[in-house]
Amino acid sequence: MSVVLSVRDVVKTFGDVRAVDGISFTVQRGTITGLLGRNGAGKTTTIRMITGVFFPDAGSIEWLGSERDARDRIGYLPEERGLYRQMKVKEHLLFLAEIKGRRGNSVVQSAERWLKRFELWDKRDAKVEELSKGNQQKVQLIGTLLHDPDLIILDEPQSGLDPVNMLLVRNLLRELKEEGRTILLSTHMMAEAERMADDIILVHKGKVVLSGGLDTVRDSFGKNTLHIDYEGDGAFLEQLPQVKRAMIVNNAAELSLVEGADPQSILEATIGRLRIRRFELAAPSLEEIFIEQVGAETMESMR
Amino acid sequence: MNKMFAVIKREYLQAVRKKMFIFMTLFFPVLMAALFIVPGLMVAKGLGGKKVAVIDGTGKLQSSFAHHLEPAVPEPKKALSGGNRGQLPQSIDVEYLDAHDRSNLDAAKKPYLDRLYVDRKSTTGLDAVLLIPANAFEGSDARMTFYSRSSTDLFTQERLASVTNRAIQRQRLSGRGIDPNVVDTLTREVPFDSVQLSRSGQQKKGGEANFIIGFIFAALLIIPSFIYGLETMRGIVQEKSERIVEVLISSMSPRELLTGKILGVAAVGLTQVAVWLTLIAAVGTFGAATAMMAGFDISQFLRPIVFVYFALFFILGYLTFVCIYAIAGAACNTDKEAQQLVAPIQMVMMLPWFIMFAIITNPDSTLSVALSMMPVYGPITMFVRTLVSEPPVWHVLLSIAVSIVTICVFFYGTAKIFRVGILSYGKRPTIPELWRWLKVA
Repeated sequence: MSVVLSVRDVVKTFGDVRAVDGISFTVQRGTITGLLGRNGAGKTTTIRMITGVFFPDAGSIEWLGSERDARDRIGYLPEERGLYRQMKVKEHLLFLAEIKGRRGNSVVQSAERWLKRFELWDKRDAKVEELSKGNQQKVQLIGTLLHDPDLIILDEPQSGLDPVNMLLVRNLLRELKEEGRTILLSTHMMAEAERMADDIILVHKGKVVLSGGLDTVRDSFGKNTLHIDYEGDGAFLEQLPQVKRAMIVNNAAELSLVEGADPQSILEATIGRLRIRRFELAAPSLEEIFIEQVGAETMESMR
Repeated sequence: MNKMFAVIKREYLQAVRKKMFIFMTLFFPVLMAALFIVPGLMVAKGLGGKKVAVIDGTGKLQSSFAHHLEPAVPEPKKALSGGNRGQLPQSIDVEYLDAHDRSNLDAAKKPYLDRLYVDRKSTTGLDAVLLIPANAFEGSDARMTFYSRSSTDLFTQERLASVTNRAIQRQRLSGRGIDPNVVDTLTREVPFDSVQLSRSGQQKKGGEANFIIGFIFAALLIIPSFIYGLETMRGIVQEKSERIVEVLISSMSPRELLTGKILGVAAVGLTQVAVWLTLIAAVGTFGAATAMMAGFDISQFLRPIVFVYFALFFILGYLTFVCIYAIAGAACNTDKEAQQLVAPIQMVMMLPWFIMFAIITNPDSTLSVALSMMPVYGPITMFVRTLVSEPPVWHVLLSIAVSIVTICVFFYGTAKIFRVGILSYGKRPTIPELWRWLKVA
């Protein structure tokens, strides 16, 4: 595997705030790398430095093995929609390709193919402002991919999408990966990253707190997390002495246990109170790992 | 280079498709002409309806107020100037009352003064009443009185005073045995035409036309710069607020982007000017303009060189302004902030417009010459000078050079502020902050 993107000790300060405080990581060719963290952790600032929107105050960034002329081979989807509202959809897409140095018949055909695939063909001559938020997001995504980039950088690509379109994007990203493209995916949705990413980079307060292959990272936290699905009121689970921390959502609990605790005793405690449908000792979820790293109060503010 | 061309193309196509552009291009010259000509016509027309009662205490001036026939269409120029000072302009309708046998003039004027309050559209309505005392010929302290509802109707007042005084003089002289016809011959004024001699020996007529034409051309030159400057500013603010700029900047350098934008906007301006000049030339050729100007000879303004200068100074002024607005756009996050930042700057930029009167009347004064050599003010001032006068060639060349240097400096500065400002989403920078950006970027 070769390194497509390498970020070394980059720092960016805004006034007194060190938004990015010495972040380093690498992205391998043909992988999906998840850049994770809560809002304001420094993800977007890092991405803006990678895409050349900001200059880093310190540190260096290498794309695709060189420091220059790589821009046209990067596709960048900004966090918020960045489209001219007054322009027509197809016209806008061709403009986005043109500023990446691509024009002519092949781009037009490619744009038409994408529009059909994303069910936007009927809207090709509509103004961007006439589209729904989700459709605008799809236009932006096509604009990111139209010039056939090697490195695709997506900042919260699924914001504003409904579940159907989220699935569409998820499948698209897998497909792009299979084509050998490299994807850097920034998101605050841990579950989404867990589904997609090969590697993760966990950012908190401008620093990388954790990075590596998703499986490696999860395994390093051991298999001492209980995943319980049940019927009944499971609020008491949080109070059990063996439980260090609990995440209870609807009828599913993820319990991280104190050192040396016996899962069996928890199962016993539930007898007569809950109807158990699943009881599994496994590696913690990414969300759980994240809490472990940055503290529960952070997680609360993310919800 | 290709990327810059993409930006130019986009800016151009987006701008020329806007309704604003189509309106400005096709109707703006007509609108401007109308704006300046219509008030003139209205003044002339408005006089047509003036009804004045003259109460003559001497009873000897009736012949001077004899009613003049009005032509079907009043000619504004003649209606305004009244031709000979001895005659009433065609547009004042006099109702004469011989009051020399009335012992009490105050009583005589009473019903007429009452009619001032009647709706002036009705047949009995009056706009003004002129009272000539019985001792107007002999009395050393005799005074005429002019009653009207609007104190601002100086035009009618002055006309009447002039005509009446002339009539009184005639009566005084004829009272001493001089034949009224001889009096007329002796006191006839010689009218004069103003002829402006240019260096090339051309003769120009019509000083009043200079005014109107000067203003129209100045407006055509300056107003689009403001409008498209504002458009550019809004465009930049919009690109920032909608984060399009992130996509743009991740694909090209800020300088490429800015150059593309400004050249795109310049192409829009050139298109506009080309259409205008074609329109003006066409209208001028068919003589319609001449007729429209109601007797003013404007052919002297349609010299080919005027077109060349107009295009040249338009582009120079336009680019200067667009750069200034681009800075404001790059420095601010919302339209409102940007407007606040440019509002005072705009006032400063408008200076030549505010003193246009002085520039047109004295195109070769020290003030006009100095302004035409100054950055920002140069293009419009110099154009107006070339329009109404013939400044030395080196003045024109120097002005052009100053403008080009100004644009280069502004562009350089704008590019730097653009680089820093375009991505800063904080509060609006202060002027010292802008200055720091200029130095660090």
